[in-house]
Amino acid sequence: MKYAFYPGCVAKGGCPELYTAAVKVAEKLDIELEEMADVACTGAGCMPTQLSDPINARTFAKAEQMGLPIMTICSTCQGVFSQANHRLQDTDYREEINREYLAEEGLSYQGTTEVKHMLWVLFEDLGVEKLKSLIQRPLDGLKVSPFYGCFLRRPGPIMVPTKEVGGRRGYLEDLTRLLGAENVDISGKTKCCGFPVLTANEESSLGMVAKHAGESKQNGADCMVTPCPLCHLNLDGNQPRAESLKGEKINLPIVHLPQLLGLALGFDADEMQLGKHIVSTKAVNDKVDMLT
Amino acid sequence: MEVTYKVHREDSQNGGESSFSTYQVDLPEDATVLDGLQKIRDEQDDTLAFRASCCQGTCGECAVRINYKAQFTCTTRIADVTKKGPEILCAPVRNIPVIKDLVFDMDRFTWDKMAAMKPWMEPDDEFAPTENLVPESEMAEVRKTMTCYQCGLCDEGCAVLPVDFDFLGPGAMVKGYRFVMDPRETGPRQEERLAVVEQPKGLWDCVHCYEANGKCARGLEPSSKIMEMRDVSFKHGIKNEKVARHHNSFINSVKQTGWLDERKLVMETEGLTNIGGLMKLLPTAVRAMTRGKMPGRHEKRPGADQIKRIIEKAEESK
Repeated sequence: MKYAFYPGCVAKGGCPELYTAAVKVAEKLDIELEEMADVACTGAGCMPTQLSDPINARTFAKAEQMGLPIMTICSTCQGVFSQANHRLQDTDYREEINREYLAEEGLSYQGTTEVKHMLWVLFEDLGVEKLKSLIQRPLDGLKVSPFYGCFLRRPGPIMVPTKEVGGRRGYLEDLTRLLGAENVDISGKTKCCGFPVLTANEESSLGMVAKHAGESKQNGADCMVTPCPLCHLNLDGNQPRAESLKGEKINLPIVHLPQLLGLALGFDADEMQLGKHIVSTKAVNDKVDMLT
Repeated sequence: MEVTYKVHREDSQNGGESSFSTYQVDLPEDATVLDGLQKIRDEQDDTLAFRASCCQGTCGECAVRINYKAQFTCTTRIADVTKKGPEILCAPVRNIPVIKDLVFDMDRFTWDKMAAMKPWMEPDDEFAPTENLVPESEMAEVRKTMTCYQCGLCDEGCAVLPVDFDFLGPGAMVKGYRFVMDPRETGPRQEERLAVVEQPKGLWDCVHCYEANGKCARGLEPSSKIMEMRDVSFKHGIKNEKVARHHNSFINSVKQTGWLDERKLVMETEGLTNIGGLMKLLPTAVRAMTRGKMPGRHEKRPGADQIKRIIEKAEESK
């Protein structure tokens, strides 16, 4: 199993622990990664589509040249890529972008690149049985709130396009159970974390952090797990500000998907760089330590 | 068939606490949830308040949260919502002040916000000498949005409204789209229309979570419409200054280096001369530094020159 690895800007910037954890976990799972070093940011929904579609077409064309599907570790990258790739299935539009933007570099996107988030790769390519066989430390007793955020789930017809991949609506809960942990459900697990509106309306954004993290804590979770580093930036990085806004302590550790997976695969907290989080993960570390 | 209705009760105008009332109802197999509510009101409890009008799924009056999913009571059959058990839970749609039981405050919910969109055409002072012909290709999507039921299902699923009720919401913004994109109001007129949807708590307060796309009973894809208006706003120049700084910094960063310089983005978004704003960032920056999370030196990526060429060419054609 080999992928063109697209880590995204945040895993190489504000959440370096995600990159480290993902690479280590992939190696343990026999997922070979060839990092795409010379491609652009997806635009993250911040660049208008007339600018981001051409640069994303370039990334897809590069993956086609490598002969590999793309693996992402960021829901936002995945969402923007999936929507761009959907538009680029229109032959006329794709040819226009090839002609106007890619031809000068000798590139041409044929529309064949598949883009998958690591969470999807685990279930759809690696398989549950293989994953089970590699678990060295079931996370018994760890209470985890799955938090999808927006982009791995919606728009539905693009992110979950067929019945065959209908399981995408529950992979995070499935994975948490598979790793031996207990699911702690929250009402907003598929809602927005608030990150996209941090610029325009900080109070609204921090309100969402307090709502989701607060509910998770109230329901008894030890931590929350997310497949999106932008959710992580807000739910972890801005949790102290959300606490100030609401005048109440939340103190809920937020872990990245590959970190939770890594702990069950036998890595320790330092190897998964849990110490890099803003909200201390001590409660998680202590429970995991007791399992070893 | 015998079913159990568990219905939300509330009388906010008289200060009553919310609760649930339970009713046993015998209904034919093909009955709708609305049939049951009407039977309850006719035969068991004439104080039960709910809305309904067309009774055929074309007016959007009867939106109710049935077994945790917002839908129309008049087109939802009891057989379809009792597959897991005989209980039918009816609650008001979320994010909206309740007046009584299942009746919510449409004025505060959406009418006031829709009215703020100036939902009427503003013709030129002088009559045009001929008909104003518009191509079908430019009118098709606009006409679709005219079929909006204004039922509120899109706002019901909104992620922003629970934390900020003053947010315009997808319903009002679909109404805004109908005028922003109308080919009969172009140039400065479109600018004025954009200014209306770009008001504070409007276009840029949306988190583009695409929740509303899946909720619309007419398939109007409200979230996608909001994103289309953002693309149009970008062409005209974003009116919210902070958001404009954010977008410009983002695009410049990708254009110059191939990827996002997060440190620069955060500072440029606040404004490099906005000392107060920059100082507010300090505690977060210190926390990030302490934890070793502060992004390192931002290097230009291989391929950055090609990325710059592509973005500049795309900008020229905007």
